[in-house]
This record gives sequence, structure tokens and C-alpha cells, in this order.
Amino acid sequence: MACEPFDIANVPGPAALGVVATPEAMASVVSSARRPLLVVGSEILRDDFYLDVAIEIGRKGIPIAATGHSIKGFVQKGYTDNVHIINLHELTNCLRDPEWRGLDGGGSYDVVIFFGILYYYASQMLSCIRNFCVRPLMRAISIDRYFHPNAAMSFPNFRPKDEDKYKEMLKKFVENIRR
Amino acid sequence: MAKGILDVAGLENVRIFIGEVAEEEEEWEPMGPHPKPGITTLRNWDFKLLQRYKPFYAPFCDMCCLCTYGKCDLSGNKKGACGIRMDAQQGRIVLLACLIGCTAHAGHARHLLHDLIRKFGRDAPIDFGPEIAVEAPLTRLITGIRPKTIGDMEEVLDYIEEQIVQLSDALHTGQEGSFLDFESKALHMGMLDSLAKEVADIIQIAAYKLPSSHPGGGPDVPLVEVGLGTVDTSKPVILVIGHNVPPAADIADYLMEHGLEDAVELAGICCTAHDTTRYYPKAKIVCALGRQLRAIRLGIADVIVVDEQCIRADIVELAQKTFTPVIATNDKALHGLEDRTYDEPDKVVKDLVEGKVPGVLILDPERVGEVAVKTAMQIAPKRRAMKIIMDDEEFQRWVRLCYQCGNCTLACPNGLRIGSAMAKAATGDTKPLAELFDLCVGCGRCEQVCKRHIPIVDVITKAAYPYVRQERGKARVGRGPVWDTEIRDVGAPIVLGTIPGVIAIIGCGNYPNGTRDAYLITKEFADRNYIVVLTGCMAIDAALWKDEEGRGVYETHHGRFDAGGVINIGSCVSNAHIHGACIKIASIYARRNLRGNYEEIADYILNRVGACGVAWGAMSQKAASIATGFNRLGVPAVVGPHGTKYRRAYLGRPDIEDDWKIIDARDGTEYRFEPAPQHLLVACETVEEALPMIAKLCFRPSDTDRGRSIKLTHYIDLHEKYLGCLPPDWHLFVRTATDLPIARREELLKRLEDEHGWKIDWERKRILEGPMRPYDPSFDPTNLPRLIRKKKE
Ligand code: SF4
Ligand code: SF4
Ligand code: SF4
Repeated sequence: MACEPFDIANVPGPAALGVVATPEAMASVVSSARRPLLVVGSEILRDDFYLDVAIEIGRKGIPIAATGHSIKGFVQKGYTDNVHIINLHELTNCLRDPEWRGLDGGGSYDVVIFFGILYYYASQMLSCIRNFCVRPLMRAISIDRYFHPNAAMSFPNFRPKDEDKYKEMLKKFVENIRR
Repeated sequence: MAKGILDVAGLENVRIFIGEVAEEEEEWEPMGPHPKPGITTLRNWDFKLLQRYKPFYAPFCDMCCLCTYGKCDLSGNKKGACGIRMDAQQGRIVLLACLIGCTAHAGHARHLLHDLIRKFGRDAPIDFGPEIAVEAPLTRLITGIRPKTIGDMEEVLDYIEEQIVQLSDALHTGQEGSFLDFESKALHMGMLDSLAKEVADIIQIAAYKLPSSHPGGGPDVPLVEVGLGTVDTSKPVILVIGHNVPPAADIADYLMEHGLEDAVELAGICCTAHDTTRYYPKAKIVCALGRQLRAIRLGIADVIVVDEQCIRADIVELAQKTFTPVIATNDKALHGLEDRTYDEPDKVVKDLVEGKVPGVLILDPERVGEVAVKTAMQIAPKRRAMKIIMDDEEFQRWVRLCYQCGNCTLACPNGLRIGSAMAKAATGDTKPLAELFDLCVGCGRCEQVCKRHIPIVDVITKAAYPYVRQERGKARVGRGPVWDTEIRDVGAPIVLGTIPGVIAIIGCGNYPNGTRDAYLITKEFADRNYIVVLTGCMAIDAALWKDEEGRGVYETHHGRFDAGGVINIGSCVSNAHIHGACIKIASIYARRNLRGNYEEIADYILNRVGACGVAWGAMSQKAASIATGFNRLGVPAVVGPHGTKYRRAYLGRPDIEDDWKIIDARDGTEYRFEPAPQHLLVACETVEEALPMIAKLCFRPSDTDRGRSIKLTHYIDLHEKYLGCLPPDWHLFVRTATDLPIARREELLKRLEDEHGWKIDWERKRILEGPMRPYDPSFDPTNLPRLIRKKKE
């Protein structure tokens, strides 16, 4: 199933998959990943709920790259165990290098989850991953409230009035991650 | 011998044509190795930069449709039919963007030079007063020419134009195939762009006697009014928009010659506004580019005069809706209007006032003033009788019509949640809608997709109207070049690091979160004693906000090129003086030769001058070429999140040790060194993230321990203030205990020991083991082996 990009003219090309996926399907990709990484941006700070979602994912053993100024939230919540501060451009630059040692020295990642990132910045970084992280293939999924055609899987666009529905989907996503 | 035709006596039929006469060049400085560099001359320098700061690509589009083989799908770094890969294609698009940007500046410079030579003559002197001897640092550096008159700039433009043609040729299908070479060409284009800007600004300063170091210039320039609320609409209002000042200068001349300065308002948008105030400080700066659509829709202008660049393509259509005639003045932006340059001015005025034509073309700038002023004066009373701003009932009707379909949000580049704000307004709470006013970049895309045909921009403006009326700030007039005498004073503290950096806040207003960020960045760094220089839209937007006491950032900070200064350098072309200041540090403070010596000076700047560009709302192709020009000269830049759409960044990888090797020019010893600066071009998501990043990009390998300690203090402090914790990489910048912030030395030494395993001599408070290189105050860093003075035996 496809959907309108959140920024309507952001139609990258024929190979952009742009699949709208269920939270369960996304969670199963994350569950079976060799080395998944949660990449969060500053938009998670708009509501504690989102920060808690990120922390819950972190608690399942998935490392967190805190981009933008999102680290502020983790510090306030006292959760910094597997949280790494990095700029999103820097991180994506590293992701495109298969030789990269990773945020913890354990090597690069095979599944990255984008969460709480400004739409158009995220979109450009997802485009880099889709176009250049091909050998080995890295899959990028977005659990933001936007449809991202550059992500392998993403949610549809949510309107402000559908915020609760979005929150439900996030909850399902987290519940279904098994690590 | 003069240029011309020579009749030889006795040989009446023989005429000898003498073209350019090679004049005896005064030996003002020995010529360096690279005068008028061609495409490959500085390629080695580029490759050094590109090796450390590797191009990073984020395609905006997977396809190429430039030739009839296409469209080609390049996704997954596939090749197109011509053999070009996605990465090289991205480099190609970057070069194309830099070409468009550079030609805008070079075309502007050439156009201006024609007009100024015609009005003032080739021999109009370039004399910037007693404090400025190095009048054209980029021109001297790149071409080896020391210009004395504006006519001397013809040769500089000839060089630029020739290079542009050669570089553009490389864009054709079947030419360049390597992404690195596309980048080297983009860097060359960026350098040409910086040179073109310098030409444009120098000739206009020289001809119009804009502020320089003559009395009243430099730090003593006056303050001018900025903001949508500054225009006195009880008077006729002329609004100038664009980047090329001669038509606006002619309007100012006409007003002054006819004693109309207090009778007519001359106001501007964008860089023409800057340059008009440099010529005529009674002029007002209405707004930067981001408010253009709204300023026009507000109907404050009785006549709009456009010149070139950053003018809305639908200007005539928009102006017609507010009964405002348009005068176009530049062959690059004709807008379908009829050429009336040589018509009787009164006839033209009559047609405009009576609305017989929506606008006219007047291509001779010296004929614009009379028509613009007379039109404004005659049409103003008629226009005042018209209703332009919507009334409360109409506003309520529109907001109630909105059914929160969300189409506008999907069309909005900033994804603004307009529908929910409309819903609130329908219940009487207009605040959320009013708050969108500053976040909106004024593109108008939303209105085109609204099925209810709600004039969204006007509805937002109406909600914000009380605020808009109050929008009144002050900016210092663009002062142009930094003085040589100022450089003499600050050269040492900048290179030693005790002035922690020069922050160049430049470019357009495509901000992620409104104009307040421009103010915040300016204030934060000026308060910390950085030198803050601004140009273009950001120089305007920074003036819109105030502190608790109601004072703007130009009022609270001095205008000297010195610690804590907030300096409006001027329009976009004026930002060549920021390159100029960096170059002058190398030449005046460090006594390096400038002439034809780009590579050495860029190497000097990269290693020693802690300058960082900030193009937080970079939007145009000019911003791409400007940033690329700064980068080639060794100045890094931070862009806002929209800047990722330029597709390319230059990012360093501190984890790759081999990328961080530097030579000590004293004896050729190679050191691994700290990532200083870490990137040449990087985007941040939010201003909170950008502030520490900007501070970080001011580190240089040449910093003394005192300088490093100050820079580290600000980096750590900004990180803690905006991100709530220590930066993860602060230790990379520590070479010795005295590099640490004085107030926290002990605590940080402890952290180095506990968290990073460094060995500390606690008795003497010294670091015994840990840093990647030792600190040596005489370290003479370079990336150029040819500069090694004496090789180690
Ligand atoms: S220029 Fe090359 S990539 Fe572009 S359409 Fe032509 S063949 Fe395809
Ligand atoms: S005009 Fe403003 S609100 Fe409308 S789409 Fe553009 S930025 Fe968004
Ligand atoms: S497109 Fe029009 S109707 Fe739909 S939410 Fe926006 S303003 Fe309301």
C-alpha cells in the first residue's frame, strides 16, 4: 500500500518503495534484525509519551542514536545507558560505510528505525540510506507520524486529531518487538 | 601607449589596432604560484579537502532527465545510460546549483559594472579611506590584480566569466564522470562566486560612496529601521525588491533632489533594502525574503520596483491584487512587461496610475526615480481608499470554512498544522494561527491546494496583524569591508583563539522554526565575545527580536570587528568581505603574501582562523555557491535542516585516524590531530543542536592553550545549556591540562582519568598520557608539504 508523501511533492523516483506497514510487521523486522539501531530526533521532545516509547525500545536492548537535541530528554529522564549523542548527518555518513565500527564498537547496523525526526531532514537521510547503503543492504523504517517514501517501511500521515491513533500504533510496535 | 587605432604617417592605408595595452605592473607584491587559477590549478588543494571532508550525498530525486536517453533511474547508485553513477550525478547537480548561484553574482556584477562605468566612468577610484589599504583581498588573492579604479574590475570579470563557461561545459552529458572532480569544480565555482561578490560590492561602494572607512563608515554607520511595522503608510510608499541597487539609488537621488525625503517612504525587501540603506539611510528595511509575499499582500507598497534575484515569479499577479503597479528594471527579470524605458515619464506614470498597464519595464536605472516617485505620489490617495486587509467578519468566515482536511499541511514546506489552528480560531482563539506567522516561510503553496479556496496566508497574517503592526527593529547599516586596522587588533587573538571565533551569519530565511533563531544565534555568540558578522536576510531577521528591555541585538552590541561585535556587513555580495577579513588576517597579521596565492592562504585559514559560516535558512542556489566558496577557502559552514536538500555535505570522520594528519611546517613532522574543524558543511536539525556545533567548528589546530581553553569552555557550556550534558567528544580537543576550561579543570581531569583512561599527574595537575598529540605553542600546521621550511634530517 502506498500513500501521499507528507511533503506532497517528495516523490523520489521509481525505486522508492514507500510501503505503509503495520506496527506488527515493522516490529517483526526489528525483532529479526542482526543489529538494529533506533535513531531519534528532536521531535520526540514534544510529548513525554514519545520519549518513553524511545526508552522502552532502548530497554529492549536496542541502542539509541540521539540526534538533534533529543539527548536533553533522555538526560532529564535519567536514561542514558545505551544512548549515543550524534548529529544526524554525521550518523548517516557513518551508516553508509560498511566498515564503520558502530556507536559501540560492535560494527554497523542492518535495520535503522527513524523516530521523532524533522520530516524533510529525515527524508534526505533516508534517501542516502536507500541509495547508498545497498551492499550490504540496510533497511530503514520510520515510525514517525509521516509517510516517508524514502523509508523501506513507514506509517501513514497522521493528522493532529489522530494523535491517539498514532500513539496506539507506537504502543503496538513496541509491544511486538522481541529481542 | 593608449588603446585605439594608430595611423602610421606615410602609410595612409595602414592602420594598426591596439587592443589591451600591457601596462607596466607596479610590483606591489611578488606574484604567487596560482594567479587566475584554471579548473585544475587548485585541484590538489580540493582533493586534500575532499579526502578529509568526504562528500556525502542525499539525493533529492533518484532520476536524471537531462538528455533524451533518460529518464534514467539512478537509485541504489546505479548508472544512467551515459554511464554516470548516482554519486557523480549528485556532484553534477551540486555543480549546477553552484553555477546558477555564481552566475547570479557574476551577472549582477557585470550588469552593475556596465551601469556604474556609464554613470561614473572607468576611472572612478577605489578608495576606501585611511583604514583600508587592502581594498580587494579576494581579487588580489585569486587574480593577482590590485584594482585601483572600477574599470580595473573588467579584467577580473573577464576571468570569472571565462572560468564559468569552462565549468559549465563540464555539466554536459558525456563530460565529467567522477564525483570528486565534480566537487572540485563546484569548489572552483564557489571560489569564483566569492570573487564575483567582491567585484560587485567593491564597485558599488566605490561608485556610490557606500560606507567604508571614510568618516561615518565602519563601526560608526547609523542604525536603520527594520520590520513590517516601520513603514509609514500615511505617506506614499515605494517598495524596492531584489539585489541590484542602481534603480533604488536613482529613486533616492530623485527624492533628495526634489526635497521629498520626508514626503515619500522608500522601503525595501532583501538585499536591495540593505544596499539602499547604505546609500540612503532614511530608507527602511521592510523584511527579508521570507516575508516578501506577505509584505506585498499587505498592500503597503504604492509602487513596487524590482531589480534582480529573489523576486517572486508571480510578482505582477500579486501586485495587481493590491492595485500596486510594478516597475521592472533588469533584463534578467522582465516579467512580461512592456519596455517603456524611453517613453515620456509622465505618460508612463499616467498609465500606471490609471491602471492601464500592470507595470512597465524601465531598463535604464537613471530613468526609474522620476517614474517611481511620481507614480507613488499620484496613486497613493487612490489606493488609500481601497480595502486591502480583510476585516474580522471575513476572517471568521474563512476560518469556519476550514474542515481540517490537512491538504495545506502536506503542501507546506514546514509541515505547519494549519487546519488545527484554523479550528481554534473558529472558536475565538486566534493565537495558534498568529503563531504560524513567523514559522511560515511565505511560499503560498498551501493556498493552491485548499479545496475551500481559503487565502491561508492572508488569514494567518490577519490573525497576526496586531503583532505585524508592532514589528519594528533596528539594524546597523551594512558597513562593507572590515578595516585593516581592525584586523591588526584582532588578528592575533583570533589566531591564538582568545577571540573564540568569527561567526558569519549569512543567507536566506528558509528557517525550520522562524526568524527568532537568527536572533538567538547572533546573541548567543556575541554575548560570548565571538565576533558576529551578518549579511543578507539573516542580518535583517536578527533585527526583528528584542531582549526584555526592548533592545535589539544591534543596539546591545557594538559594531566593531572585535570581540562581542554584531556587525551588519551588508547585502549578499557584501559577504565577500567576510572572506576578505579571513584573508586579511593571513596577510596583515601573519604577513603571508596574497597575490596569486590562494592555496597557501586557504590552508592558513583552515588551520588558524576559527571562522564558521551559519546559513540557517539557506534556500537559493546562491547560498550553495556561497557556502562552497567559503569551504574552499577553509571556512566551514552549518546549515539548517532544509540545507540537506542541497544533496551534498562535506563531513569529517574523527574515527578514521588517517583522515586527520597534519604537518608541522617547521620540520615536516606529521601529526595526527584533533578534528579541527570537524566538518566543512553540516546540517543541524534544531537551533539547540546548531549552537554547540557552531562553537565546535571554531576549533583550529593552531589554537594556543589559552585560546583552546576558551573555545572548549563555550563548546561545553553551549552543549550543556542546550543539550543538557557534556558533549561526547570534548576530550578530543584536549592536548594539555591548560587546554581545559579554567573553572572546571579539576573536574574534567578527573573525567579524563575515569572515563577515558588518561594518566594524570595530580600533584602538578598535568596530563601524562592520553591526548592524541602534544601541545606545542610554536606548532606551525599546514596541509601543504611545499611549505615545509626545513625537512627533518
Ligand atoms: S544525462 Fe545520463 S543519466 Fe541523465 S538522462 Fe542522460 S543518460 Fe540518463
Ligand atoms: S505559505 Fe506558509 S503556511 Fe503556506 S505552505 Fe508556505 S510556509 Fe506553509
Ligand atoms: S487545505 Fe484548506 S480546508 Fe484543508 S485544512 Fe488547510 S485551510 Fe483547512
